[in-house]
Amino acid sequence: MSFSFLPSTLRTAHAQDMWLLDSAFVRLWATAGLAGALVLPALLTNFWMGVANQVFIAVIGALALNLLMGTTGQISLGHAGFIAAGAFTVAALVTHLDAPIGVTLLTALVVGAILGVLVGLPALRLKGLYLAVSTLAAHFVIIVGLGQYQAAISYGAGFSLSPPSIFGLEIASERHWYYFLLPVTLGILLLNVNWLRSAYGRAWTAIRHRDIAAESLGINVARYKLLAFSASTSLTCFAGALAAYHTGFVSVEAFDFHLLIQYLAMVIIGGLGSVLGAVLGAVFVIALPNLISVAADKVPLLQGLGGKVFELQIGVFGAIMLLFLMLEPRGLAGIWARVRFYFQLWPFKYRAWES
Amino acid sequence: MSLLIVIVIQAGFYALLGLGYVLIYRATRVLNLAHGDLMVFGAFIFYQALANSNGGLATAVLAACVGAMLLGALVYTGIMRPLAGYPVAVGVLATIALGIGLRSIVTLIWSGQTRYPSEYVGQLGRPIEIAAGVFISGIDAVIVVFAALALVGIPLLLQRAAIGVDMRGVAENALLAAQRGINIHVINALSWAAATLMATVAGVFFSLKVRLGPDIWYVGLAGFAPALIGGMDSLRGVAIGAVIVAAAEVLAARYIAPQIALAAPFLVLLIALWIRPWGIYGTREELERI
Repeated sequence: MSFSFLPSTLRTAHAQDMWLLDSAFVRLWATAGLAGALVLPALLTNFWMGVANQVFIAVIGALALNLLMGTTGQISLGHAGFIAAGAFTVAALVTHLDAPIGVTLLTALVVGAILGVLVGLPALRLKGLYLAVSTLAAHFVIIVGLGQYQAAISYGAGFSLSPPSIFGLEIASERHWYYFLLPVTLGILLLNVNWLRSAYGRAWTAIRHRDIAAESLGINVARYKLLAFSASTSLTCFAGALAAYHTGFVSVEAFDFHLLIQYLAMVIIGGLGSVLGAVLGAVFVIALPNLISVAADKVPLLQGLGGKVFELQIGVFGAIMLLFLMLEPRGLAGIWARVRFYFQLWPFKYRAWES
Repeated sequence: MSLLIVIVIQAGFYALLGLGYVLIYRATRVLNLAHGDLMVFGAFIFYQALANSNGGLATAVLAACVGAMLLGALVYTGIMRPLAGYPVAVGVLATIALGIGLRSIVTLIWSGQTRYPSEYVGQLGRPIEIAAGVFISGIDAVIVVFAALALVGIPLLLQRAAIGVDMRGVAENALLAAQRGINIHVINALSWAAATLMATVAGVFFSLKVRLGPDIWYVGLAGFAPALIGGMDSLRGVAIGAVIVAAAEVLAARYIAPQIALAAPFLVLLIALWIRPWGIYGTREELERI
């Protein structure tokens, strides 16, 4: 029996509690968002579609990092190394075996999972500072190792990849990439949201708060920590593989500290611990410098600044990260939550309990 | 024999960097990932003073030292002090952010091109024969002498001088020290200033010996390996950590491949973190086994 004329928070069946899009309001905006995303390529130039594709790949990487740092609370500074591992997996498979994209992406996932377990094993003994340091050391070791491989196989020149094709359709232009990456990113987004709602997500959150208490409640902390590392690294390698195909060129210099800072900025500025934060952070870090440089070129006073944006962006991100860490630890998602809360409560300023 | 000399010189360099990391950790309990960039900033002050005075080494060194100490105190007061009490992740990320901020400031002021301060001080680089047929450059000799002085002098200062005792008190338990009347903010600012001074001296040596540019910050970053291996809060451990890391790097470069030298400190660090995370002389912190 359908009670759709009643207020949307009325539940008449247990299953309704588990729905992701549980009210008409949410369903309306989700449909509008999806329609907008599908229509967007018609409005964007080629350059901006390239930026949008970069945003999609960055969202996957940021979601992975958020899973590890935000939900499970394990500091990991090895992110750039894992992206490099994913990209080089693709490069190696294409160079040596001429493998199709399906095989390379799957292999990247598996390689990432294995790498995650390897890097996660020290995490069972180390916390906080020492974990951060060990992941940083792992990053350098991976990068130097891959650099050796690149020097040996391609004599330092890097690997170039031809555009991949799926079921005979070649993904060559930015528009093709957009329509390929949109469902992939949405799928991974849904996967993340689902994980966080499941027993895994609850276990990971418990580990973040107090892992000793989690252990005493029966959660096998070792298993879930390794799972978190494995899942996160797997998705990161996947993002690296996609980035390799999208750029068409793989070289170890692209995966330096700079890239790590970008991803840290995405997760911190977006807000640690929320999926929305990862998405907002990815959009902020990737799209904003492009927006600023384009806008600065239009405004006569700031014309010289446009060219400097990419040089300065890392310094600016550093300053913004610090400000967010000090003033708004929940990041952009926190700001959004505050704004939403304000309008939900208006004209009241507070209520007796937190929702 | 010459391999041993190279290890000793490299260990001297790492000891200076490691001392900086340890001093900062003892004061503020944070791993300063901006140390490499502090090193670069100080070295650039040295270079600028050298260029302005056209080879006046003494004035340049003095300017670099004063500038470094001011920078260290400023970084503590402006960034680390407001972040006291936040979780460890915040401190680490704050130092990363500081590092990239400093690097972009350096690139803005001095541009990214490589400089060679050694062209201003030619006579310092001339080879000295210390044993039969074994030559080292004058700069190398200064590095080793200075590192030895620092490794002996700083613990001595902490043992005997009144301010040294205060520093040890703050390193052991900052809260109790504050309640006992020690001005922990002054002590911490001094620690940061001293650490930045060590880093700048190391940077000056590196820039005289090799080159100077914003991209040499990773050399300073490798300096946290000796600090961690010896124990993040132990000054004794810095010497041993420096020798181990220098030996690993030089031997790896000599017997495996020269490019591995970049990863060798981090590989040794990973192994050390596996076996003994709190270092050789460090205090055991809350590291539970699961």
